[in-house]
Amino acid sequence: SSPPPTRTRKEKEPFEIDFSSPLNPILAETIYTPTTTMSSISLPKTQWKSKTRNLLPDDKHFNSRQLLRLFLKPKARMGSKRKGFG
Amino acid sequence: VQICSIFSDTQRTTAGHRKSVIKLRKIQEACCYEPTSNSGKDTRDFDEDEFNYEVGRCTVRLVAVKKAEPAGDRVVRFLGLYLSHANEKDNTLVAEEYDEGFAETPSSRLTSYILSLVLPFLASKEKTVRFRSTQLISHIINSLDSIDDDLFQQLRLGLLKRVRDKESMVRVQAVLGLGRLAGNETEGDPNGDDSDDEDAGGLLEKLLDVLQNDPSADVRRSLLLNLPLTPTTLPYLLERARDLDPATRRALYSRLLPSLGDFRHLSLSMREKLLRWGLRDRDENVRKAAGKLFRERWIEDCTTTQSTVQECSQEGNAVAEARSPNFEGLKELLERIDVVNSGVESGVAQEAMKCFWEGRADYREEVVFDDSFWDGLTAESAFIARSFNDFCRQQGDAKFEDLVEEKMPEVTKLAFFLQRFINKLLDSLRRAAEQGDDAEDDDTAELEFIVEQLLQIAQTLDYTDEVGRRKMYALLREILALPELPEEVTRLIVEGLRGVCGGDPAGEREFCGVVLEAIAEVHDTITGDDVEEEETDPDESFHSAKSELSEDMPKRLKTSRSRSPEVDENDEEKAMKEILVNMKCLYITQCMLENVEGNLQQNIHLVTMLNNLVVPAVRSHEAPVRERGLTCLGLCCLLDKTLAEENLTLFLHCFNKGHDALQTAAIQIISDILTVHGSSLLSSPTCPVEEKMLYKMFSKALKADDKIGVQAAACEAACKLMLGLVVKDEELLKTLVVAYFDPGTAENLGLRQGLSYFLPVYCHSRAENQMRMQEIAVAALHSLILLHDNLDEEEEMVTPVMIASHLVDWTDPRKVVSVRDMEALADDIGRKEISKSIDGTVHMDLAKDVLEKIASNASKEEKKVFCSVLGKLYVSKYSDVEKIRTVYELASQIVEDKLLSDAPSRNALNKLYVALGKIIDSLGEA
Repeated sequence: SSPPPTRTRKEKEPFEIDFSSPLNPILAETIYTPTTTMSSISLPKTQWKSKTRNLLPDDKHFNSRQLLRLFLKPKARMGSKRKGFG
Repeated sequence: VQICSIFSDTQRTTAGHRKSVIKLRKIQEACCYEPTSNSGKDTRDFDEDEFNYEVGRCTVRLVAVKKAEPAGDRVVRFLGLYLSHANEKDNTLVAEEYDEGFAETPSSRLTSYILSLVLPFLASKEKTVRFRSTQLISHIINSLDSIDDDLFQQLRLGLLKRVRDKESMVRVQAVLGLGRLAGNETEGDPNGDDSDDEDAGGLLEKLLDVLQNDPSADVRRSLLLNLPLTPTTLPYLLERARDLDPATRRALYSRLLPSLGDFRHLSLSMREKLLRWGLRDRDENVRKAAGKLFRERWIEDCTTTQSTVQECSQEGNAVAEARSPNFEGLKELLERIDVVNSGVESGVAQEAMKCFWEGRADYREEVVFDDSFWDGLTAESAFIARSFNDFCRQQGDAKFEDLVEEKMPEVTKLAFFLQRFINKLLDSLRRAAEQGDDAEDDDTAELEFIVEQLLQIAQTLDYTDEVGRRKMYALLREILALPELPEEVTRLIVEGLRGVCGGDPAGEREFCGVVLEAIAEVHDTITGDDVEEEETDPDESFHSAKSELSEDMPKRLKTSRSRSPEVDENDEEKAMKEILVNMKCLYITQCMLENVEGNLQQNIHLVTMLNNLVVPAVRSHEAPVRERGLTCLGLCCLLDKTLAEENLTLFLHCFNKGHDALQTAAIQIISDILTVHGSSLLSSPTCPVEEKMLYKMFSKALKADDKIGVQAAACEAACKLMLGLVVKDEELLKTLVVAYFDPGTAENLGLRQGLSYFLPVYCHSRAENQMRMQEIAVAALHSLILLHDNLDEEEEMVTPVMIASHLVDWTDPRKVVSVRDMEALADDIGRKEISKSIDGTVHMDLAKDVLEKIASNASKEEKKVFCSVLGKLYVSKYSDVEKIRTVYELASQIVEDKLLSDAPSRNALNKLYVALGKIIDSLGEA
């Protein structure tokens, strides 16, 4: 069998910084314009503090096994009897 | 012009950066220094200012480059590399002139020039410009050794502002730079001369605050990896082991901790916590990283010291020595995690060693358990043997079966060592009892731990060899009757006996017989001293030898009670001893019953035990005896339906009148009884307890916000019973849903986490469960909205709209397991068909309930919440046609009556209305 034809992919035009040409005025404006108010570029104060300190609560490791065993006989699986019992 | 092309080159790949640095340096030297010799052509067409200006011009270009473009990152790296190189060169040039301090050089001027140029961009309105300028400044800071003082303060202030930037990508860069600055500050005087500047000295504090509070995990993670490691920062860094973000937790285990240096500098409790959190993390990658840390880094810390100690005599290559398995090192590692405490059941050392054996084939192969190993057992080496044994035998495909058989001793030998250590333990216990001080405690605890490990190993051995089996049987039987042995050891002995006796009914009878024999012996010790004084009843030994033990036990209990009230000291001591011995007997009984499964009435040993030991205990005036008796009675009820029926009232009484622990026990016993015998037990005409009474118990316990333990136990029990279809009560389900969101249960993590597991599993595992949830959904939501309306200020609760979307999800018919299975089986074409054809009746029922609620007297706010449900429903023509029509009519009525005032609600209703209209049209056509 012949190898599948290589698909010609459209290469994205690689981005390049043009260092030689003079800075165009629009770009210059975006670069040199400072913000009008500090608050518009800042994190709102309400988000400065996290009540939980971004920590997980204590994990109780609840799992399906816990639901499948008896409280009084944690080692015996519910409903399963030992082999040989009739 | 040349400078431009150098910068152009650097953006494409980092590979040529070194060359570009040299090229640019040549130009700089040419611009700034007098030519060293006049030979050659004079290239001084430009001076230093022009050079700096040109580099600055290129830098300005950089700051508009979007974050996603790697070209920008490359130029940043190049600039950092260049400045570091150039400053170094200049400093060596001027080193002769200045002995110390900060010398001004062409490169330092260039650095200052660039930084001052970029500094104002930090406050740009464009996030890209802020990002690149912050990135550049931080990178330069991290590349250089020193910076001009004035500039330094400005940078610091600029970056500090960016720590609160709106964009997390900017904050990440800002903390990268500040982390370095904070490192410098801690080296020097933290409270420098700049005390007039209110930010001075507090930099580290600020960053630690960000580490705890920044909402972006990327920021927290960058800080975690870039803050200086000092005694001040360490607790804050280690705390991130419980960060909300898994990648941050993993970074702690895979990057920070390995680079921290010797783990033995951490406190014992911190080591234990780090291991426990890491090895039991919900995220697999965190678990893996923690395991790797333990079995590669921590062991290395221990083996390195251990091998240098050994190497004093043999001058070998230390590196190879450290890498090869070193069991002294492993023992030290276990000692360093306090294996006597962390190696117990449910202790973290179990998991730690499991992953150790998993990942260290070298240790697995080389470990040797010869006679001298067993002779000199310590807590650590005993745990090595036990964990190795567990690991090999728990591997699914038996691939380590041969390995463990080859290394572990045969049963007879193990029994021999067990006996020896039991004797040592007994000696130690008796010495401790005589001396009455704590000096022996450590030794005793270690011996106890060793014995436990040996018993654990004994449980896994192969007892087909009759000689070994008999030997072990005799030993276990003998030591079970030793009343001094601690409870955990006793429990393991009972379990060991159960294994040795074989699993068939005959084996179980033998097991019960032999355990009861031992109990009788223990019981005899109540009168142990008296026996010698009083005339020895010739039948005594005979009585207690076999199952007739029961005859003399109650007699003694009775005599002790009928004694005259004047109690002298001796009597008091005696009464105390009697309680202790009774407790021990009941404990053995409990352990035995946990391992029995046959019918109680068919086992004569059990019947006698019930009547002569358990029943009197339940009637005892001593609370501890009575409570342990109740547990045993509960266990007996699991083996006999009639007994269970008769005693339900008693357990219910315990719940109604008992203290917290007893209430919990009662709930658990009742739950187990129902699980084993089924809820049909309650409908039997002979049963005195009705279903209603039990639901009342559950509902009362679930609402007891002040009794966290009872509440959590009731929740778990209810989940079990409902999942096992033992209980199908809708009221109880509603209570659970309400409890899940109720702000009163916020502190009860056991309940919350249990329900967050249970509720989706319950609803999505069976269509009938899901329908039950649908039935109560509107009522539950209504109750919860009321709760939400009456919240206290400090109480927190998710919004009713969120709750509503949970309810929609739980009742989504597409999520029931059988449906999902069908989807998985179907191929791509079939899948669409199936997912379209899922019966959507559940959501139609929900829609009907919701619409009726809206049409009734609900408040405006409540209507909004209910309408949010409508927009999320699964609407399909494969639903009950009559129900579709009903819902459609209800909807159109509400549209006509204009009951909804706000736009989102009207839209949600309209969406449903239109979708249903289409379906009805298509039905008409068909």
